Amino acid sequence: VTGLPRPAAGTAEADRVIADELRQLLATATGRAELAGITLDTPLFGAGVGLDSLTGTLLLRQVRQRFGVDVAAEDLNLDALATLGTLASFVGDRVAGARAGGG
Amino acid sequence: MLPVPPAGCADVWWLDIGTVTVGRPELAELSLEEHKRAASFAFRSDRRRYTAAHVMLRRVLSGYVDSPPSSLIFRREPCPRCGKPTGRPALPFGYGLHFSLAHSGDAVVIAVAGQQVGVDVEQQPTGCVCALSADMNATDAEWGRPLAEAARHDLVIRWWVRSEAVLKCTGEGIGHEVGGFPVLGRPGAPNGLAGPGGPDQLVPATPVHGTSLISLPAPAGYQAALALAGSSTAIRLSVQAPWAPATRAPSRGAPVR
Repeated sequence: VTGLPRPAAGTAEADRVIADELRQLLATATGRAELAGITLDTPLFGAGVGLDSLTGTLLLRQVRQRFGVDVAAEDLNLDALATLGTLASFVGDRVAGARAGGG
Repeated sequence: MLPVPPAGCADVWWLDIGTVTVGRPELAELSLEEHKRAASFAFRSDRRRYTAAHVMLRRVLSGYVDSPPSSLIFRREPCPRCGKPTGRPALPFGYGLHFSLAHSGDAVVIAVAGQQVGVDVEQQPTGCVCALSADMNATDAEWGRPLAEAARHDLVIRWWVRSEAVLKCTGEGIGHEVGGFPVLGRPGAPNGLAGPGGPDQLVPATPVHGTSLISLPAPAGYQAALALAGSSTAIRLSVQAPWAPATRAPSRGAPVR
């Protein structure tokens, strides 16, 4: 949505906006509109929405394109991928860190 | 009892989960772990796909080992790369039976062989999959450059199912090496099975990463591939249960084959 002010990175509001964008990426990557409505505590892999390796990898690559954050490269244990909420926080922190660091 | 496929051979079983009802008799065949996993899905469609696939896996394997489906106990082999228990699912030692399971959308496919085998099926995503191109081996990515967008999406998924079949066969999984080697072969070269498949067909294969790799004929909107351990230029394939799409509403109590 153009013309609207963006919330400051690193805030709860920013994480909420990122979570909404992640829901849209999820729904598009999987072709499943119901994923646009999942809660923050919904697991992404193995249980919850049960992303398979293809849609999971596609989501991570789209996150990298959209936010410039390479989750798989930065979090070797992939704790960030536990739920939609942890992924949104991880991406939010990295985006905020990049801005604070001038890059 | 079904014979375990001899060296260089694999059996393939398809199931359209739209054609089956998973009822109490079917659920009773699953283990506690499988029930827990099924219960953890947020959406009914995922629970149904998982349950139908695992009932079918038990019933198919049951035919080769002469044990009831519910008696089978699965273990996980260590990953050959990192040693973690994330390698190939397997039956206890001694059966001499290897298998691989994949499911996506309404499609379930199971491959059975006397040597390590990997199978993958993917429903073509509705959105753009070009973000995956970054993971492709440079040789494979080259084939996609001249293609129009729809054909490129098709190629990316073909690359994915062929890569995943190989890495499931070796046990490495996509966490290691995806894109580490080319899998597409020369476009236009015979590297798969034409037609729906049947018993005992010799299929030209591409030797890839210590495996013999073929594309499998898949339902419309899906792509599939199978890899068998050992670098060979052909696989003898028996499609034991070809894809039989749902033509009517599923009848109550229809068995999961």
